[in-house]
Amino acid sequence: MLDSKNMGNHRIAIIDYGLSNLYSISKALGRFTDNVFITDELSGLNSADAVVLPGVGAFEEGMKGLEARGLTEGIKKFAISGRPILGICLGAQLLLSKGYEFGVFDGLDLIKGEVVKFPEAVKEKIPHIGWNEIYPPESGQWNKTIFDFSGKKANMYFIHSYIMKPEKSENILALTSYAGFEFCSAIRQKNIYGCQFHPEKSAEQGLGIIKNFVGLV
Amino acid sequence: MKNIRVIPLLHIKGPNVVKPVQTEALRIVGDPKELAEKYYQDGADEIIYLDIVASLYQRSFDFDLLKSVSRDIFVPFTVGGGIRTIQDIKNALRVGADKVAVNTHAIKNPDFLKEAARVFGSQCVVLFVEAKKIEEGKWEAYTDGGREKTGLDAVEWAKRGVDLGVGEILITSIDRDGTQKGYESELVSAITSWAPISVIAHGGAGDFQTAEDVILRNKADAIALSSSFHYKNFSVKELKERLFSKGIDVRL
Amino acid sequence: MIKKIDKQLESQPKEVVFCKRCVVSNQRPRTFIDQEGVCSACRWADMKKKIDWASREKELRALCDEHRSKDGKFDVVIPGSGGKDSGHTAHLLKTKYGMHPLCVTWAPFIYTDIGWKNFQNFVNSGFTTLNCFPNGVLHKKLTRAAFELKGDAWEPFAYGQKAYAFHIAVKFGIPLIFYGENGEVEYSGFLKNADKPYESPDDWDELYFKGSGVDALLKQGLKMGIFSEEETKDSALDLYRPPKREDIERLGAQMHWLSYYHNWIPQENFYYAQKHTGFTANEEGRSEGTYSKYASLDDKTDGFHFYLGYIKFGLGRATRDAMMEIRSGHITREEAVALVKRYDGEFPKKYFKDFLEYLDITKEHFWEVVDSYRPSHLWEKINGEWKLKHQVS
Repeated sequence: MLDSKNMGNHRIAIIDYGLSNLYSISKALGRFTDNVFITDELSGLNSADAVVLPGVGAFEEGMKGLEARGLTEGIKKFAISGRPILGICLGAQLLLSKGYEFGVFDGLDLIKGEVVKFPEAVKEKIPHIGWNEIYPPESGQWNKTIFDFSGKKANMYFIHSYIMKPEKSENILALTSYAGFEFCSAIRQKNIYGCQFHPEKSAEQGLGIIKNFVGLV
Repeated sequence: MKNIRVIPLLHIKGPNVVKPVQTEALRIVGDPKELAEKYYQDGADEIIYLDIVASLYQRSFDFDLLKSVSRDIFVPFTVGGGIRTIQDIKNALRVGADKVAVNTHAIKNPDFLKEAARVFGSQCVVLFVEAKKIEEGKWEAYTDGGREKTGLDAVEWAKRGVDLGVGEILITSIDRDGTQKGYESELVSAITSWAPISVIAHGGAGDFQTAEDVILRNKADAIALSSSFHYKNFSVKELKERLFSKGIDVRL
Repeated sequence: MIKKIDKQLESQPKEVVFCKRCVVSNQRPRTFIDQEGVCSACRWADMKKKIDWASREKELRALCDEHRSKDGKFDVVIPGSGGKDSGHTAHLLKTKYGMHPLCVTWAPFIYTDIGWKNFQNFVNSGFTTLNCFPNGVLHKKLTRAAFELKGDAWEPFAYGQKAYAFHIAVKFGIPLIFYGENGEVEYSGFLKNADKPYESPDDWDELYFKGSGVDALLKQGLKMGIFSEEETKDSALDLYRPPKREDIERLGAQMHWLSYYHNWIPQENFYYAQKHTGFTANEEGRSEGTYSKYASLDDKTDGFHFYLGYIKFGLGRATRDAMMEIRSGHITREEAVALVKRYDGEFPKKYFKDFLEYLDITKEHFWEVVDSYRPSHLWEKINGEWKLKHQVS
């Protein structure tokens, strides 16, 4: 827990686009700041100092949900403004360019890349459900990012059938291995973060990521 | 080996956690919030939270209670009991559920599963199957908290659920439920032997050995326990440490 | 026109009042609703909370100490079916109180698979049991007569259920007989014997046999041509009556209820019996006419006993189960009402054919008899269908 939950005027918006488990993410954020609000409106989004895009659902439904509320352009502008964004699971996937779940759909295109199914060759069951370790890519590291686990192994909760494939390796923040297959479990581009896993559902270590994100604001 | 989840399962009736045996009787064993938090602190990988009388009493799920119970818990909640509409699922997700488990209404209206998977994604939908043995190798699916026969073959029904798009199967043995005589291994194998999705075994746990066996021999992807934890046979932590010592990949 | 001999029907109140706390109504014999709208059984449940169970337990210990055999011979007769209640009673007295039970069963009319299984599991968990199957021809005729004359085919079972234990007690010279619960107190709140652990056979007619025992049935049945003169003298009929008064007194035979000494909670008996005597809940899901899976499972004809109760009193099997569970605190009244609305009065069709065959009557005759027991203050016909005028809410 942070010493103080008072982050001044720094407001964190959770985007409600009709599907997600808002309660879980808002209570996770609520552990570290009182300045959290849920919005499905552009004005709410614009007034925020940081945005969380949570995620339970299918890619197409997700994008439709954003479009129906007129939020897609707003989020893109928000990203350009340099304010922090955290996408979680579906929310992280929507940050990419295209998604291939039940069809082909455009994403927010904030980070170049695609969302695809786990390859056929993966021998374990899909969806990938359960706890799994995340680790930095060889060339990467976690200093100065919101991932900081005091040197311990980091275990996070995953539940997904589709994986993120950022075009550029520099956007890969974390990797995870499932059935011997390594995939991207977190992405980052400057102020934009995306976690395939659910930090708000990953016990104390997951809460650590949330805390650090709040600390960015 | 991939991660195996250890999941305390809470049967909820009104404001209490109860523990039926063979899906009958409603002995109160604790307070939902207290138990759920205790299990979370102890390392539970998920929590399953089932209102076992909503369908029987034909009433709705208590979303307020769920909200309060899940407030300080930061691992996934699978929630079930009287889930009948898309709106029910939305409401559940908004107060702490990450996944919903459906039994009675799915059997009455299987397309509900398809619709739910389409709207929320397969990973959000868990098929909860209550299975009663009829004879060797055959089980019947029940609804309404293990009280109403359906005439459906439980295994065939589970297959249909997969076709309709569910993301996980929670298979519970009516015969073993609450007896602490061990998981019903043939039943679990009857599902895991073909299921392309995760299977959570439930019903009968009781001791360490059966937990190991249902994972290593019957290939359960996750195990759910009620009596063992509620009656303190062992803690979540102790179970996980024991499983780990047997080479099973559990989060410690 | 058959003269009915169910004396209970004479005193049934014409105005229906439901208990405010549980789901029973004043139609149930020997259940009274007081001025605050609360039934006698619920009041009894309140009274139970004030009982000093520790001191009752001491009484039980003393009683057992007095009767416990020193050489391991049978020292208590426990009647039961091997179900959850007798399983609990027998196992408790044996293991906690060191007694040596001789269990006795008065067989159900027609065993169900689960009933037989539970019976065997009970025996195999370590209890010597004498199971009495009365002369089938006679039993069926008595059942037929009871159905016609009292609207309850089940009653000949009740005669033996009460009497057989006494016969065995007398024959084996075991004065102590232990039943499970005082049903009249627990389920009606009829407090005649509430402050005592026992009743006398003199009470049986009033409390259990609707005002008259087997002899009244025989008398009317003879007139109706169901029995021959010779049949009415069959010595098997002795088993439907208590032994001679002097034999009972000489032995000092006395029946006790465990419910006097222990807080009687059927649900807890279920947990206990499931754990210790191999009791299994109904393997077909809920029993017909109710939501429960653990009560009265062993007789294919049971459903008709409850169904006739529904016809006569407007109170079916679900009501019965629910009222008990409300008083034990397992379910709320609101939940009970939902269950009663959903299940009460459901026709027990599964064993209908067996029941008709057993009684050797046609379907048409069955309904003739059933309809003759429908009181007009409870039932009305709407669009050709019978409907209850009053339902709990």
